[in-house]
Amino acid sequence: MNILIMLLKNLWGGSRTLLFPARPKVTERFRGLVQFDPTRCTGCAICKFRCTSRAIDFKGGKGEFTWSYDPGQCTFCGRCVEGCKDHALSQESACPPVYTTIGELKKSYTLARKPPAPRPAPAAPIAAKAAVNATAAAPATNPASGGTQ
Amino acid sequence: MNLWNRLMCTCRRRSPWLFHMNSGSCNGCDIELVASLTPRYDAEQLGVRLEGSPRHADILCITGPVTRNAVGAIQTVYGQVCGPKAVVAIGSCPATTNVFIDSRTLDGPLNKHIPVDVFVPGCPPRPDAIIQGVAKAAQILAERGNNPPIADAAPQVVGSGATECACNECKEVQP
Amino acid sequence: MNLITALARLLIFPGLLFAVPAAWFFLWVERKAVALMQGRIGPPFMQPFYDFIKLLGKTTPLREGIGGLLMKAWPLLAVSSAAGAVALLPVLPSSGGFEGDLILLLALLEVPSMCIIAAGFSSRSIFGEIGSAREAVLSVSYNVVFLLAIVSIAASQHTFRLEALAQLPASPLRWLGVLAILVCLPAKLHLNPFSLPNAEQEIYSGPMVEYAGPELAMWELSHGLEWVAATGLVATLAAPHVTLWWIAAPIFVALSFAIVLLLSILASATARLAIDTTVRFYWQCTLIFAVLAISSVLFMRLRS
Repeated sequence: MNILIMLLKNLWGGSRTLLFPARPKVTERFRGLVQFDPTRCTGCAICKFRCTSRAIDFKGGKGEFTWSYDPGQCTFCGRCVEGCKDHALSQESACPPVYTTIGELKKSYTLARKPPAPRPAPAAPIAAKAAVNATAAAPATNPASGGTQ
Repeated sequence: MNLWNRLMCTCRRRSPWLFHMNSGSCNGCDIELVASLTPRYDAEQLGVRLEGSPRHADILCITGPVTRNAVGAIQTVYGQVCGPKAVVAIGSCPATTNVFIDSRTLDGPLNKHIPVDVFVPGCPPRPDAIIQGVAKAAQILAERGNNPPIADAAPQVVGSGATECACNECKEVQP
Repeated sequence: MNLITALARLLIFPGLLFAVPAAWFFLWVERKAVALMQGRIGPPFMQPFYDFIKLLGKTTPLREGIGGLLMKAWPLLAVSSAAGAVALLPVLPSSGGFEGDLILLLALLEVPSMCIIAAGFSSRSIFGEIGSAREAVLSVSYNVVFLLAIVSIAASQHTFRLEALAQLPASPLRWLGVLAILVCLPAKLHLNPFSLPNAEQEIYSGPMVEYAGPELAMWELSHGLEWVAATGLVATLAAPHVTLWWIAAPIFVALSFAIVLLLSILASATARLAIDTTVRFYWQCTLIFAVLAISSVLFMRLRS
């Protein structure tokens, strides 16, 4: 009897179908296509190392490097996004689009390498105090002084 | 016969019958494909019917990276589908073998063996993305008319760099 | 009846020209009702028409020899006999359909099932053979009940003519017979719970596995025509007797529609039964009532 009640309720209450082409909303934590921010990338290639399906390709050179990404190869796991220490990668919260030719969605960026950030000059007084403390501490740890009762 | 042709185009677009085939998939994409027939997504509103025999179908939906055992079966079933026909590769596995790249048990992406019309990326793709892919394939089928698919005679060889591999093992084993 | 009237009744109303859109309409009603009860929206209204035209445009595989000719012949035979069965229905009570009696209607209703069985075997595919064997077992099971019920209704009126049967007086025997026929209808029309012959995933559509294109379109059409003929037969036997044709015809249509809805409710509420359960159901459970009906008719005729 329960099934008949369920059927009649469905008949009465209308359907819960999404009319084509409406699509359900994706949440903001949905892992879609990987997006690249060229201003933040420093060319460390950790994303290529971590990629599970070789979707990210990295060709490095002296002055410039090329980062390319094939969404057709991607498995949307998010390891590249987790591993990027410059936060240059993110995943968009949208469904990947349907395509008709192989390689249609491939993206590639060629960037010039940024010059390394200049090192800060060492501060002299702090270094000298550290050297004095180190030499003062060394005789205190002499094993001979530990021999007296 | 222009009216008849236009009627035939409309009917081909509005009545896509599917046959689903699994060529070594993990079943994630298969589950999402049959989920697209459930009440929330309801592929039947487009006239989609999942058929039991390849002779009845217009659109062949293939999941899975193509394993060596499945190649013969896929070519047989593709031959059994009566024209005009279209092929939808569901998931990233048939398009590019995804994470199974370099595996010794696989035989390349799907369009090495049969011409593919629509690729639905995702791992697995959402059911609404699969329905979009099927609708696009129905549109392609309607526009194609009675002409065979472009690369029906010779299988297409993939030229993109996705399947290049430089390790020594693959150089020995792959043809 | 002269030739012109016969041809008109056979080809125009209630023959082919009326029967084919009616078949498409009933197919759509069944799909839409099942979809709505499952919480979906179903296919659009013209869907069976789109399916038919699309199938006409597909190529068929080459089959040589007599086997190929036979495979082409079975769907045509099924469509023509089902259309003939629809043409026999007394939609308008005074004039009736194409003139013929109940025996002719039953014979024409049986031919599509026989064609399905033959088609499965002539497709030379193992799935076709399994499907045909299942269809044959199903046919043997439900036909006994079906024919006994119809014979008991006709024998109680001492006539086999359809117009006379359309004007039956109400009696418990008649309702028993109609109930027995309703129980046989899901098996005849391949609906759940007795939809075993065309099990889609189990045996790759059973007898239809090798059919494609225009031949498959003919099979779908014969299925729709079987729907119209079978529900029309039950509506004829169950409808109350009204003399005015412009009340009787809508009642006939409404009753057919109600039967389609009832069968759709049954189809969406149940799952497919296995062959042994199906056969046991028909031979053990329903045969009793059919035997009761026919024996009570014989008893009444012996007394009178």
